[in-house]
Amino acid sequence: MMFEYSALVTLIALTAILAYSFYAVLLAGQLSLAQIGLASLAAFTSALVVPAEPLFGFIPPLVIGIVFGMSVGMIAAFILGLPVIRLRGVFLAIATLAFAEMVRIFLINQTWTNGAQGMSFPKLVGPVSAWLVLILVAYWFWRLAGSRLGRAFDAIREDELAAGSMGINVARYRMASFVIAGAISGLYGVLLAYFSRFADPNGFSFVAAVDGLVTAVVGGVTLFIGPILGSVFLSVLPELQRTLGIDAGWIRPMISGVLLLVVILFLPGGLSSLIPRRKSALKLETDPALMPALAPLPERGTEIVRLQGLGKHYGGVHAVREVDLHLEAGEILGLIGPNGAGKTTLVNMVTGLIPPSSGTGTVLGNTLTVRTRAHRLAKSGVARTFQQIKLFNRLSALENVLVGGYRIGKDTLLRRLIFLPSARRHERELLAMASTQLARVGLADKAATSAGDLSYGDQRRLEIARALAAHPTLLVLDEPAAGMNHVEAAGLSELIRSLAGDGITVLVIEHNVRMMLQTCDRIIVLNFGEVIASGEPADVARNPQVLEAYLGSDADDDAPHGEQGTGRHAATTAEPEEQR
Amino acid sequence: MQQFMDGIFLGSIYALFAIGFTLVFGVLDRLNLAHAAVFSAGALIGIEGVTRLGISIWLAIPLVMIAGAVMGILIERIAFRPLGKRHDAHFGGLISSIALGTIILALLQARYGPDTRRFPPEAFPSTRFEFLGATVSLLQVVILVISVSLMLILTWVVAKSKLGRGMRTIAENPHAASVLGLNVNRITSTTFAISSALGAVAGVLFTLNVNAASLGLGHAVELKGLAVIIVGGMGSLPGALVGGLILGLAEVYAVNYVGSSWRDMVAFGLLFLILILRPQGLFGARKTREV
Repeated sequence: MMFEYSALVTLIALTAILAYSFYAVLLAGQLSLAQIGLASLAAFTSALVVPAEPLFGFIPPLVIGIVFGMSVGMIAAFILGLPVIRLRGVFLAIATLAFAEMVRIFLINQTWTNGAQGMSFPKLVGPVSAWLVLILVAYWFWRLAGSRLGRAFDAIREDELAAGSMGINVARYRMASFVIAGAISGLYGVLLAYFSRFADPNGFSFVAAVDGLVTAVVGGVTLFIGPILGSVFLSVLPELQRTLGIDAGWIRPMISGVLLLVVILFLPGGLSSLIPRRKSALKLETDPALMPALAPLPERGTEIVRLQGLGKHYGGVHAVREVDLHLEAGEILGLIGPNGAGKTTLVNMVTGLIPPSSGTGTVLGNTLTVRTRAHRLAKSGVARTFQQIKLFNRLSALENVLVGGYRIGKDTLLRRLIFLPSARRHERELLAMASTQLARVGLADKAATSAGDLSYGDQRRLEIARALAAHPTLLVLDEPAAGMNHVEAAGLSELIRSLAGDGITVLVIEHNVRMMLQTCDRIIVLNFGEVIASGEPADVARNPQVLEAYLGSDADDDAPHGEQGTGRHAATTAEPEEQR
Repeated sequence: MQQFMDGIFLGSIYALFAIGFTLVFGVLDRLNLAHAAVFSAGALIGIEGVTRLGISIWLAIPLVMIAGAVMGILIERIAFRPLGKRHDAHFGGLISSIALGTIILALLQARYGPDTRRFPPEAFPSTRFEFLGATVSLLQVVILVISVSLMLILTWVVAKSKLGRGMRTIAENPHAASVLGLNVNRITSTTFAISSALGAVAGVLFTLNVNAASLGLGHAVELKGLAVIIVGGMGSLPGALVGGLILGLAEVYAVNYVGSSWRDMVAFGLLFLILILRPQGLFGARKTREV
């Protein structure tokens, strides 16, 4: 009886560790099923190196196995990640599943694994060691939440594109989550083999992978403790059932199926969402003394952007052609033009989201080429808002702005693990920066509200605050006043002028012409992808060509989404239900 | 030649299974992982019909189709519709369909037990032909004919009929489709019904071919089905047919040249290669990421 329970207790820990390997990728919004293959690889290869006696007389064999297994898992995950990391959603899931199956078939056909007969291992893992390892893993994930790495994962999960324009190297972080999952998978594989004293490659199958995934989902990914909850719940359930004397073979899968269905339909956050969260978790930091020391912005008049003959065409459609543009530090440049004139395409090129087809451009010292990446430009000081709002909807307003501070932040995870005070100080500085920006756009009282629940105008303002938290040199605003009334727009105009007063260079697209005339130092008018006028607001407003193309038409206060239907902008409008 | 024929027959069953998969994915952008359970259910229900009710296999197949269609409607209602427009519906659908698949299998186990079942040997005439130097059984011909004709009908339905137009509209933009007055729920239900009916028939044909049905039948085929739709291109019906045939042929030749223990490596190797080299599959349209 005692032995039976000790096995159950150990299994709970092991299942939870497997679930953590899924948790690691789910955190970054990815679905990988490779874990079980990585675990298998780690378990069998560890048998080749783990000695029977302690190494040098004091390093226990299990420790060697764990270190080795985690390394195998990480390396294999990295190699697998190189080709598959660019896949998304179900494609990633299927590719990684294929990998796991290939590992299984490979190992079955090897003589050193005894094929399908399996291999025996010495018993090195018991309840104490399993739970000790589990606690270490859980602790690591606990400290991860709130660290820079953790926030980057949150951002990628919510919106990869917006994350990239905050300076987050999405590809690298996705790979990081993959490799972390690999390490934990390897850990799981080794622990399982040295606990059950036996392993055969067929044990690491699709069904096992699904079990791990189910445990992670039932536990939930909203809180670090989720995998443990899921594992306890799903492991104890059959025991309860046995105690109650229900013993038909089909009842167990039935109950777990029904439970899983109930959780996914009615409790999307998993069991961990039942745990009440501390409300005080994140509060505004209003102490001005805590503001971080920020690098000075470039001197007024420094060249920020220079475009020469920049063009973009999609097939035969020229969205932007031959645009020359220069922008100096502290200037506010307005970009206006009818719907479909190529404004958003132009700023997408300036912010590195799309490469130009022709011409040359330099933004903050970066040359715009096919290899330009948005996160690289963001790192050098470009921040932007989007025409179609791209907030991290499930994060609070304050958390959104904190992600924006990625550029000026430093990695804190290692310091957080040992509770170094410097990490805490650094985080409070970032919090102070974020709070200041939130207050600046007038959203201080809504800091705790989920971004998705804010009103349209507030969402636009929050995007600006998020961009400002990066301490940008160049701020690009794509239709910031859309959906705002005249009073709000006037407030926005004032905000933009004050930002320029601080030395921030602003490039703004807007249909609200009255506001643009009041706000901008210079205005460029685009029509059919070409510059038809540029100069001081008053001159532009009098230009007959402009009047005909833009002001004369009734397009000026049209709905902000009008550009969707114009074809040439097909690539610049957001698809709300992107594959995740 | 014999191998070529065997490959084609095996491939046509894979294709039939995969077509149900890909149809749902093409229209709804969701992967229905309960499809494998429907496959097993089709096989077991078919066997029960033939053995217990004593009906002929020709009557059993349409009955299984109906049962499959009912299951499809239930799957859509229970596992997919409640997720609605939730932001994680994509992922949620995977999990909820796994859950429902587990439930279906548990119910099958309750009724049929965990043992392997078979069609009685006289259920299908064992006529054999000689064709281009290869031996071909009547069963194989029937499998091929049923698979290909179902696929042709389906392709026609999707391309030409009003229902198909509705499906393609929903695939493009479900919201716009409902604004235009399409009954999105009904078309979605119908898609699931057709998909599952095909999956259930594929289960019967597969079981006739290998003459053994167990609960786990669907799982092995599910992985193959995923390989087929990836190779052919997600959402593409001709892709599923060609992908199925390619996989069937590749497996048969693999058994011959590298040994049966490596057979499954072919499917997954192929799948992996396609995902790396041409993620949209042989016939899939490339979906560009929009900004």
